[in-house]
Amino acid sequence: MSRTLQCIAIVVVAALALLPFVPGAVDAYYFSFLFFIFLYAIMAQSWNLVAGYGGQISLGSHAFFGLGAYTTAILWTGNYLWGSLYDKHPSIYYFDPVTMLLGGIVASLAAVIVGLPLLSKLHGDYFALGTLGFGEIVKVLFVNGGDFTGSAFGIVAPAGMFDTLRPHYWVALGLMVATALAIRALMRSRYGLALIAVRDDEMAASANGIDTLKVKVAAFAGSAFIAGVAGSLYTYYIFHVGPDSVFDLDWMLLPLMMTVVGGTGTLLGPILGALVMYAVFDLARIVVPDYHPVISGLTIILAMLFLPKGLMRSFAGRARTG
Amino acid sequence: MEISLNGMLAGLLLSTVLSAAGTVAYAGDTEIVIGAPISLTGPLAGDGKEQKWAYEQAVADINKAGGIMVKSAGKKLPLRLVVADDESSEGKVASALENLIKVQKVDALLSTHSGPMNIAGAIVAEKYKKFYMITTAFPFEWQPLKLKYSALFFFHPGPGAEVPFEVWDKLPADEKPKHPALITEDSPDGKGFGGAFQAAAKKYGYTFAVDDPWAIGATDYSALITKLKAADVDAMLVFGSPADTITLLRQMKELGFSVPYFHGWKGTWTGEFHEALGPDSDYIMTDGFWSASYPYKGAKELGERYEAEYKKDSVTVGAFYANAQVLAQAIEKAGSTDAAAIHDAIFGQEFKDTVVGDLKFDETGFALIPSVATQWWQGKHQLIYPDGTWTYKPAPAWDKR
Repeated sequence: MSRTLQCIAIVVVAALALLPFVPGAVDAYYFSFLFFIFLYAIMAQSWNLVAGYGGQISLGSHAFFGLGAYTTAILWTGNYLWGSLYDKHPSIYYFDPVTMLLGGIVASLAAVIVGLPLLSKLHGDYFALGTLGFGEIVKVLFVNGGDFTGSAFGIVAPAGMFDTLRPHYWVALGLMVATALAIRALMRSRYGLALIAVRDDEMAASANGIDTLKVKVAAFAGSAFIAGVAGSLYTYYIFHVGPDSVFDLDWMLLPLMMTVVGGTGTLLGPILGALVMYAVFDLARIVVPDYHPVISGLTIILAMLFLPKGLMRSFAGRARTG
Repeated sequence: MEISLNGMLAGLLLSTVLSAAGTVAYAGDTEIVIGAPISLTGPLAGDGKEQKWAYEQAVADINKAGGIMVKSAGKKLPLRLVVADDESSEGKVASALENLIKVQKVDALLSTHSGPMNIAGAIVAEKYKKFYMITTAFPFEWQPLKLKYSALFFFHPGPGAEVPFEVWDKLPADEKPKHPALITEDSPDGKGFGGAFQAAAKKYGYTFAVDDPWAIGATDYSALITKLKAADVDAMLVFGSPADTITLLRQMKELGFSVPYFHGWKGTWTGEFHEALGPDSDYIMTDGFWSASYPYKGAKELGERYEAEYKKDSVTVGAFYANAQVLAQAIEKAGSTDAAAIHDAIFGQEFKDTVVGDLKFDETGFALIPSVATQWWQGKHQLIYPDGTWTYKPAPAWDKR
């Protein structure tokens, strides 16, 4: 990243971070609009790590998102962490970093457990279908989880905690930036080089001494961790964690589309994709509520037809030839 | 790198333009803006269509009568309805409400339908302190949350689930089901209703020959139908979406399996159900929340208006129409659109002369309405329960209809 781009990125992030202080900003629609873009950008980065950089097409992101969301809701409503402190400080679980971290850890542990057999035996489409199946299994387990998971109804967290969208916005922005920086650092490390080597030619990477399974499982677990933390954040926004909402396939499909449109295997592609796609989807929902899927579908078709490599790579390619 | 920057800037510009374009004018002291998340797309779009029509009619009728008196404005104000698509998804209700509250600047909200979606909506409304008037959610889902800024009228699943057994009780001995089956979708409403059906069956002395959950959105029910055939099932109580129920009935016909008594919940009441199945919808028993045959003020006229416009009848539009009636009356009583004031105007209060009758809200903000049972006959719902005049007709085999 050039120094100019770095400077611009810092200015943009700083401006976004200061936005909640602008009078009226928090009550404006664009505030929650930006929150959702950050959330989807985090999910898109999560998918990009395992699929864009790692070459393993995962269709199970929604399962990890849901696991993070449920972990937070269960810890919160069951008061499994803070004991009597919860009585004195009823807001202790609200944006609690430990709870959020555990949301990510539970998701990444699940990714390791399911990733070891899947990634050692399955490749390409078969791995993708395996992860899709995993998502369905997790959803059914939570639907039938009895009082612990709230069964098919799910769990309702104390909605009275909500006062303003400011913390959601800042945490989402912070997580989006932190995720991008972490992935940037990771891809510059020995591990990142190994991951790209595995993506480009797994056999050659293995012949060069790379433990390919370990590299793939680590990427899968890292991706799940990011999705789990995003799910945790969503719990603080939605306050009702149900199997139909947090294990919704949209939590996998939309970030996947956003990454593809933005540019797979690029650092800024998922953010750009989230920005553009969410804007199009949302505008269509507002302006033509009866027909918005047509607009959304058309946008995806046009993007695939004219920008098959994604926005980032297409712009880069055009400029090189121009 | 400059090139990547161009990409970023283009994206930023595009989204800024798009977001700005999405901003619309909001109400001042000249009107009251009522928002409603509605399933305009997705598997529940058929239900959403009836809901939207009912809300539009209610708002038009209120405006025709001069609007509602709002003390804080010192005059009668007209209502304006704005809707947002919830895509038949619990997760999307929150986005729809963000749009209604922040972009459309609504003053108060009318509900979407189905329990989980309405719970999601009620929680968002609670967050933003906008009143959310609900129908079509079970009280067991909503009441424990003790929300301040929503109220609900609907039926309890318990008495609702007893309706088919009440119908069976009145049948001659040879028509009473011997091997009934219970098929409920894997959803919160399905689970809630499933438990209520099991309790009702026990109470009325029936045992289900098949009691299976039903996966939402499945396309092949041949295994289920084979199981029903093997168990010699002669009555089915089915809780599922319109799309799933239509698919199930089509496959039952293809496989030559028919039951004399097929009673659907959630998936069989819409006009789309009849349009999709045509004459095959005859004999199907269906639930509903309302009937144009009700003796209440405006019920008959509303039913006639719906029928004149769509050439079919409805067993839901009255409930949604009444939802808007209650909210409008509550705003008038409260003298403002302040959520806390609307709360006080509804909780523990009675609302007279709605198209579902008088509604008496208890101290928790809940009012009870009865569940309805009708039978499809030549494209119309014939009221059987409560107090219907139509005589139930058992369905013959498919080739004898």
